[in-house]
Amino acid sequence: MGTEILEQLKRAVIEYDSDGAASLAKKAVDEKVDALEVMSALTEAIRQVGDGFAEGKLWLPELVAAANAMQVATPILEEEIRKTGAKRETLGSAVVGTVFGDIHSIGKAMVCTLLTAEGFEVHDLGVNVKVEDFVAAVKNYEPDILAMSALLTSTALLQRRVITALKEAGIRDKVKIMVGGAAITEEFAGKIGADGYDPTAPGAARLARVLVGK
Amino acid sequence: MSLKGFTRNFKPLEILTDEKIEAIHRATLEVLWATGIRIEHKEALNLLEKNGCKVDYTENRVRIPPSVVEECLRKCPSSFLIKARDPKKNLWMGGNTLYFAQSAGMSYLDVDKWEVRPATLKEHGEACRVADALDNLHMLIGYEFYMDMEGVPPCMMVLEGLASGIRNSTKVQIGGFLGGCESEIFGVEMAKAVGIDLVVEICPSPPLTIYSDACEQVFTCAKAGFPIEPVSGAVMGGTGPATISGTTLVNNAELIAVTVLAQLVNPGIAVQPCDFCFPMDMRSGSPAFGSVGATMHQMVFDQYWRWLGLPTCDGTAGYSVNSKKIDFQNGYEESLGTLAGALAGDNRICLHGQVSAELTYSDIQAVLDDDIAGWVGRFIEGVEVSDETLAVDLINEVGPIPGSYLGKEHTRKWWHKEQFMPKAADRLTYPEWSRAGKKDAIDLAKERVEEILATHKPASLTPGQEDKIRGVLKEARDYYRKKGLISDEEWVVYAKEVLELPDYPFV
Repeated sequence: MGTEILEQLKRAVIEYDSDGAASLAKKAVDEKVDALEVMSALTEAIRQVGDGFAEGKLWLPELVAAANAMQVATPILEEEIRKTGAKRETLGSAVVGTVFGDIHSIGKAMVCTLLTAEGFEVHDLGVNVKVEDFVAAVKNYEPDILAMSALLTSTALLQRRVITALKEAGIRDKVKIMVGGAAITEEFAGKIGADGYDPTAPGAARLARVLVGK
Repeated sequence: MSLKGFTRNFKPLEILTDEKIEAIHRATLEVLWATGIRIEHKEALNLLEKNGCKVDYTENRVRIPPSVVEECLRKCPSSFLIKARDPKKNLWMGGNTLYFAQSAGMSYLDVDKWEVRPATLKEHGEACRVADALDNLHMLIGYEFYMDMEGVPPCMMVLEGLASGIRNSTKVQIGGFLGGCESEIFGVEMAKAVGIDLVVEICPSPPLTIYSDACEQVFTCAKAGFPIEPVSGAVMGGTGPATISGTTLVNNAELIAVTVLAQLVNPGIAVQPCDFCFPMDMRSGSPAFGSVGATMHQMVFDQYWRWLGLPTCDGTAGYSVNSKKIDFQNGYEESLGTLAGALAGDNRICLHGQVSAELTYSDIQAVLDDDIAGWVGRFIEGVEVSDETLAVDLINEVGPIPGSYLGKEHTRKWWHKEQFMPKAADRLTYPEWSRAGKKDAIDLAKERVEEILATHKPASLTPGQEDKIRGVLKEARDYYRKKGLISDEEWVVYAKEVLELPDYPFV
């Protein structure tokens, strides 16, 4: 019974069925299937889609649709996990956002999905995120990874300001910082004091794993 | 008398029937009324409401009725004058005339290593001088290329770029402004100081949204009487539907909303919409520059806006270079889009200088693009058929072999008119080419850039004009320093690496 619902849920994600994923997650909770196991099944499904994307077999619309299906199911399970006080096994946690003045979200969405697939717990701050909101999120979630995106040259420098603000708050060394986006280069990342950069979303997910030493 | 540009002497190529264009218009009106546009600007919402639009202030949404749309579109002139620093280089935009402009590119491209690096303000000035010298380039976009200049703080890029364009060229200038900097205020002051018009790009944010900065720019620039160029750029499959026609609707609705606002601010103001829609590359999420979908969208765009009676701008042709090098891919991406757009009736094509999907700009590419512009411009002027070109008398006079046309006066007069001679293309015979060092197009273009920089000196600003430009720039710098948009750290670098250099402002 438990295994069957896990398979159905995986299929819902792989087949981009958000409604199905939500109702199956609820059903799993109602039927007292271990919520941690259900989360693992979801992660496995999104990893399968993420691998397909990285191998060039699937495309962005498929990746985003699968991520959407996962995103509707996740809060239902997280609530259950909180209630039971169970501890979720992850590679670590990541705070992700596009910097202030920049509303480009596609690259960031790809990175969020692939970090999740890799096994990270992801806190997506969205786009147009202010410096102080990044700092507050780092204080609040105490993540292993902070990933910032900027598509425009005019906003790329905001990444430096976030890093400076983290230094001023005395928490720069508590988090590994990755930067990305069309306006960013390896050299720029080094110059502003980031810990890592990759030009692609699958590369960013692999980089996060390296940065946390796993 | 304005610059002639190129005159299209045959019907534009239309890929849709009139019925389909009407269907697109009806559907556009439906979107504008049913869903409307999110506008994040109180004054704009008030103005729209006062003029018959339905405004929902809780969600900042304006629904524009067809009557208001059509009334505002009717107020747009079908052609208009744009003033340059040199009145002989004024442009008369519209009708069957085609002009060419620069396109964008953030950084400098080193063509010896194919590496990208930030440009310097000096290189920006040189790029403007090269653009000023090119025969088939009629408009500069000083703020759009080299947006990444060594030592220049981000909020000053646009203004330093515009000032560099004004100083180093007497041709028409296109301006556009970054959000959040209020740089349009200083841009307008600069243009007024030298008595030129500034074609102003206004960017909505697809889908169906106009943020406060873009609205501010409409108010400031339309009040100044400058031509408005709405340019949006829905990406098919991302910020617009995956279909060419569906994205046309989203784009139309956004550009019409800007047009309506501009006409309400200053009735009769010139509007020239620009197309900048690309399919999404579903591997990277980036716009697929250089794609057939972008070119087809441009052709539909031209047909639709011509049907509405507004002059059009092509932002897809010159922005169609995905290639990181100046190579075969680059050549076909630029040429196919440019030719298709010109055939479809573009009034302006942003073509010159871009390499690598807006990442870089190169003078060498600009010189090569000038040959594409000359080729395409010549093409649309068409084939003249008259007694003189048919040359019956001459044919009868020359007769069969051994007759020849080479030494005839008719040939001397007509070959120039009939043909276009590229300036940076290799047309030598093999032995000549081999002896001359086996130069390719890039070598030839490099030589032309060097020659232009050594010999071409556009007329300088008068000392009074230069003082005014300096005054506006100083005012802007002081303002941004006070606002914290130029940090102390940035200011030290800006002063040392740019402002205090002995040859600043690099004219």
